[in-house]
Amino acid sequence: MSKIVVDPITRIEGHLRIEAQVDGDQITDAWSSCTMWRGIEKILSGRDPRDAWYFTQRICGVCTTVHALASVRAVENALGITPPLNAQLIRQLITASQFVHDHVVHFYHLHALDWVDIISALDADPEGTAELAQSISDYPKSGTGHFRAVKARLADFVAKGQLGPFSNGYWGHPAYKLPPEGNLLAFSHYLDALEFQRQYIEIHALLGGKNPHLQTYLVGGVAIPIDPNSQNAINAATLAKLRSLLEEGLRFVQQAYIPDLLLVASFYPEWTQIGGGLGNFLAFGEFPAGAANPSEDPDGLFLPRGIILNKDLSTVHPVDPKKIAEYVTHSWYSYEAGDDVALQPFDGETTPNYTGPKPPYDFLDTDGKYSWIKAPRYDDVAMEVGPLARMLVAYASGRKEVVDAVNWALGELGVGPEALFSTIGRTAARGIESLVLAEHSLTLLDQLTANIAAGDLQIHNGELWEPDTWPKEAIGFGMHEAPRGALSHWIKIVDQKIDRYEIVVPSTWNGSPRDANGQRGAYEAALIGTPIADQQQPLEILRTIHSFDPCMACAAH
Amino acid sequence: MTPNDTSKGAVGTLPPGRIESVREEAVVRVWELPVRVIHWTVFATVIVLSITGFYIGRPFLVAGAEPGFTMGWMRAIHNLSALVFMSAILGRIIWAFTGNRWARWDQFLPVSKERRENGRATLLFYLLIRREIPRVVGHNALAGFAYLLLFVMFLVQIVLGLALWGLQYPGSLLWDSTNWVFSLTPIPMARLIHRLIMWFIWGFVIHHVYSAWLADSEERSGIISSIFSGRKHVPTDRG
Amino acid sequence: MVHALTVTDDSLAGGLTKRGVSRRSFLQFCAAVTAILALPESYAPRIARALEEKAKPVVVWLKFQDCTGNTESFLRAHNPGIGDILLDVLAVEYHDTIMAAAGTQASAALKAAIEPGGHIVVVEGSIPLGDDGVYCVIGGRSAIQVLEETTVGASMIITAGTCSTFGGLPAAAPNPTGAVSVADVVSGVPIVSLPGCPMNVDNMIGAIVHILTFGAPPAADRLGRPLFAYGERIHDHCERRAHFDAGQFAVEWGDEGHKKGWCLYKMGCKGPSTFHNCPSTRWNGGTNWPVGAGHGCVGCSEPGFWDTMTPIYKPLPAPPGFGVTTNLDSIGLGILGATAVGFGAHGVAKAVQRRRSTPISIRSAEADGNEGTDQGSGQEADTDGDET
Ligand code: HEM
Ligand code: HEM
Ligand code: NFV
Ligand code: SF4
Ligand code: SF4
Ligand code: F3S
Ligand SMILES: [Mg+2]
Repeated sequence: MSKIVVDPITRIEGHLRIEAQVDGDQITDAWSSCTMWRGIEKILSGRDPRDAWYFTQRICGVCTTVHALASVRAVENALGITPPLNAQLIRQLITASQFVHDHVVHFYHLHALDWVDIISALDADPEGTAELAQSISDYPKSGTGHFRAVKARLADFVAKGQLGPFSNGYWGHPAYKLPPEGNLLAFSHYLDALEFQRQYIEIHALLGGKNPHLQTYLVGGVAIPIDPNSQNAINAATLAKLRSLLEEGLRFVQQAYIPDLLLVASFYPEWTQIGGGLGNFLAFGEFPAGAANPSEDPDGLFLPRGIILNKDLSTVHPVDPKKIAEYVTHSWYSYEAGDDVALQPFDGETTPNYTGPKPPYDFLDTDGKYSWIKAPRYDDVAMEVGPLARMLVAYASGRKEVVDAVNWALGELGVGPEALFSTIGRTAARGIESLVLAEHSLTLLDQLTANIAAGDLQIHNGELWEPDTWPKEAIGFGMHEAPRGALSHWIKIVDQKIDRYEIVVPSTWNGSPRDANGQRGAYEAALIGTPIADQQQPLEILRTIHSFDPCMACAAH
Repeated sequence: MTPNDTSKGAVGTLPPGRIESVREEAVVRVWELPVRVIHWTVFATVIVLSITGFYIGRPFLVAGAEPGFTMGWMRAIHNLSALVFMSAILGRIIWAFTGNRWARWDQFLPVSKERRENGRATLLFYLLIRREIPRVVGHNALAGFAYLLLFVMFLVQIVLGLALWGLQYPGSLLWDSTNWVFSLTPIPMARLIHRLIMWFIWGFVIHHVYSAWLADSEERSGIISSIFSGRKHVPTDRG
Repeated sequence: MVHALTVTDDSLAGGLTKRGVSRRSFLQFCAAVTAILALPESYAPRIARALEEKAKPVVVWLKFQDCTGNTESFLRAHNPGIGDILLDVLAVEYHDTIMAAAGTQASAALKAAIEPGGHIVVVEGSIPLGDDGVYCVIGGRSAIQVLEETTVGASMIITAGTCSTFGGLPAAAPNPTGAVSVADVVSGVPIVSLPGCPMNVDNMIGAIVHILTFGAPPAADRLGRPLFAYGERIHDHCERRAHFDAGQFAVEWGDEGHKKGWCLYKMGCKGPSTFHNCPSTRWNGGTNWPVGAGHGCVGCSEPGFWDTMTPIYKPLPAPPGFGVTTNLDSIGLGILGATAVGFGAHGVAKAVQRRRSTPISIRSAEADGNEGTDQGSGQEADTDGDET
């Protein structure tokens, strides 16, 4: 038995440290620790609630947009503001494209190198690669000449000895299974995806001024005007540009992401048995119909809300936000009422209390407090959130678009739904979701276009814009499905100012340390049973951890 | 504006009933022309600067579809009157060293024992403890000190104003000589202070006009008219 | 000590042309960079020459109290594309968001990259100094330890984003972690400041190309920000400026003025207080920028903007010590009102005092006799009646 440490966990957002107990060639226990905290909840206190979205968006530049949306929803919920339909649709378009963008970047640039051995691609036969590529997809850049050029470029790059981001990778590790042709194909798409993502995200610039950190959210709507007869507002040209970018996104997901995902999954079947983890899943749901605030209205969500317990897909349990509470027993905070209680976010406290070793250190005291992440629990149960949770809840709820996509993917791989409760399942759910949402985003654009065509140009509900129209006190929460899962912002407004602001983030759920009852968080649970071929090269830990797409800036904030 | 014709210097022109013991009085030309011209120039420019400045910070007139140049004019007028204002202030500073004894710099500072005494007595008068206003020919010591504070505010306005002006011309002489201001205070804070001081200046004006009126009605020296004519009635027993 | 820039033997232009980037698009890239750097067009060939001769600089990218927004911005590089940058323009030997290695292998890659010296250190995120730096620890070492080790021998530091440049969001009041900027803790290595929340990747490419072309960091303002990107105000280059001058303002979100692209000053735009090239360079390949999308500038490239440029929807911040929703002019009017009421009350009190007082003759005598304090002297009075 030995304890190994992986710190920094790379190819994620932020500062994550994993300590794992390894017995023989398997992980028997694990501790997840986020080692960075900024105190954004404290910084928000006393400020103008209408500014909160701008601050909270900076929680994360990877899942940019999501905290902005959760925040405006929280304030709107507190004050009883309903934004106009156009604003809702624009927000949803931003969200849907954020999902597709984030998932593509995750798959190719954060996760792929866990499955793809770049150096092995040097042994690939360009012709064989072209055959492989053409057999799985009609993606255009699939000719022998293309792969020969890519291979030559890689060879040239490697020969220079300056590997840049590929320096010191686990190349040649026995757990890599893709053939050289698969690796070359993936490397080629790694580069294409870099190009794709920066172009696709122009959607955000069109609707939000820039990316990352869009600048058109408003409490009560959005700040980008709509006027088909103005050159300074969303007009037909904007809509046409959006359409072509969204179509481009759908094409890329269909022709590259999904085929590549299935290719990887088919070479790693054993990873459908590894990394299952908690088996409890929570989804807030997203993409409300019409102008509803999902914090208020769980019906009509395109991706439904619900809870799956113990991997049981036969029942979807309802979500009651009041049952969310956070522990700090093993987190570097203290509660006035003692560190063994769980606090609901409306009464939440964020008081730092570092008890860990003074840096530099080798090991954390994992019996005590060991992370800047709090431990959120639903009805005292640890939950996994994220694409897998969303796809499972939607699948179990019978959401047609999801059921069809999931069944098709499972069919392609020749496995049943139980394969979803795994490392590969999580990764696959993300791809399936991208497909569903890339399609849905075009529906959203259609709705927006139709609404504008019907003469509705409203983008903001300004009735309660001025703080002197607000009640003396108000509380509200904003629910949102971020790419990494269920996100909620909780606000208390007193005298036109933020009195208390608490944020419970997807990666807080997934990356949480243990709670007062010793329940592990989702990363910790999923690592148990993960094989380790070489303790010096913890590639397998990366696979399972990356399948969650961790974001530590989000998790601890 | 002038309740009594002080230019005549005739005691008999004072309204009856208030002063029962008739005193010897002399007419003293306290405020030389430059002082008066400067005073009313400052008065006028402060009004213009305040109106245009207020607009710059909070454009209360919003033009319609017809393109106008409202903000452009406001800023141009602000800058132009700032130049006049700064010249007036500069002139007054020069005059503080070249003008008559009531215009001199020491009138604004409680430097002498006498002025401190006068300041104390005037304060007692204001606090309703002392009934009679201590009489002076120039400013009373308290007023002199208030003017000093006002001048400090003016100077801060000028420095901030020049620095804000300089923002438009990066690398210019104006920029180079004023940009240090923003090492002391960020740009929005500088604007905030510039605006806040505007309000303080108007707070001063209220106090100033009130006390001029008060002193006038107490002293019957024609203090208010003095800032127009330059002349004050001063009892000869105190010179 | 400061080392010379370390570069690999592979030249940028060579890398670009070798992999099929035509000479023509390479020259286009040079022309684009010339524009970002605000240099005359005639400089493009000089830049091209410099890039053809120079080789890839070694870059290590450190992340502390950040949100990865600047990394994401970096990934949006479009000319040249980020793929070309990662393979051909820069040798990014350490960047924990994209690197293959993790844990000890990652730390080893960092060590290897900085050993020869001359590397460029890019820093994203602020450095928490509070409580021994426990608020940001990487591989068991605090941010400040990592930063100090990594900048030894560096040729320069580029601070990407407002957090590393000025402290940024973590340093916003009440700065719970004692966050500071790089310049607050590192000396002896030149710092190129690229604030922005996030920084605009075009400005980073511009700065790097400038360094490669001219062999020195670009000229900067007193805050270390290159003049080519932060030399002038948003407000002085904003496409809505004519509406500002005309007095045409949006006054409600979505009103006619807003739709027509009128000035956003009354909606809280901080363009007049902000130095950044957003209006000309724009974002995401020149697609748009915040004001272009209908929202005011928030001043994200200015120091302390989280505290000094907020509340976002008011032109000026709240006076320190007052709540955020307090309007400066209400305070001003309060000052006036209080003064007026105060002196009004004083006037009334004076009048009452007068009415109650003893006859003036006695009073005058009293006053004259006991408390004459005036120092004025009639003899010296200018009584000739002539105006001077
Ligand atoms: C009593 C003297 C002055 C008063 C009451 C005054 C008042 C103001 C006010 C209220 C503002 C608007 C601030 C804001 O809300 O942003 C302003 C702006 C300004 N003032 Fe003054 N000001 C005075 C003197 C000056 C002087 C002496 C100068 C220049 C030498 C000056 C130059 C400016 C400039 C450049 C601006 C900014 C204009 C802009 O944003 O375009 N001011 N002033
Ligand atoms: C913006 C408005 C005003 C400002 C900034 C201002 C400022 C000043 C200053 C600085 C002085 C000292 C003169 C010197 O030594 O240079 C002064 C004196 C005087 N001002 Fe004004 N003034 C203003 C408006 C007025 C008005 C409206 C009146 C008329 C009621 C007035 C009446 C006087 C009088 C009577 C004196 C001489 C008082 C004394 O002996 O101390 N002022 N003022
Ligand atoms: N966890 C997380 Fe986020 C997401 N998706 C936010 O809510 O990544 Ni930065
Ligand atoms: S400057 Fe802004 S974008 Fe960059 S790390 Fe800080 S918060 Fe994120
Ligand atoms: S929108 Fe902002 S930057 Fe543009 S002119 Fe108006 S105030 Fe200036
Ligand atoms: S908020 Fe920042 S991105 Fe540009 S427009 Fe303003 S400086
Ligand atoms: Mg929280």
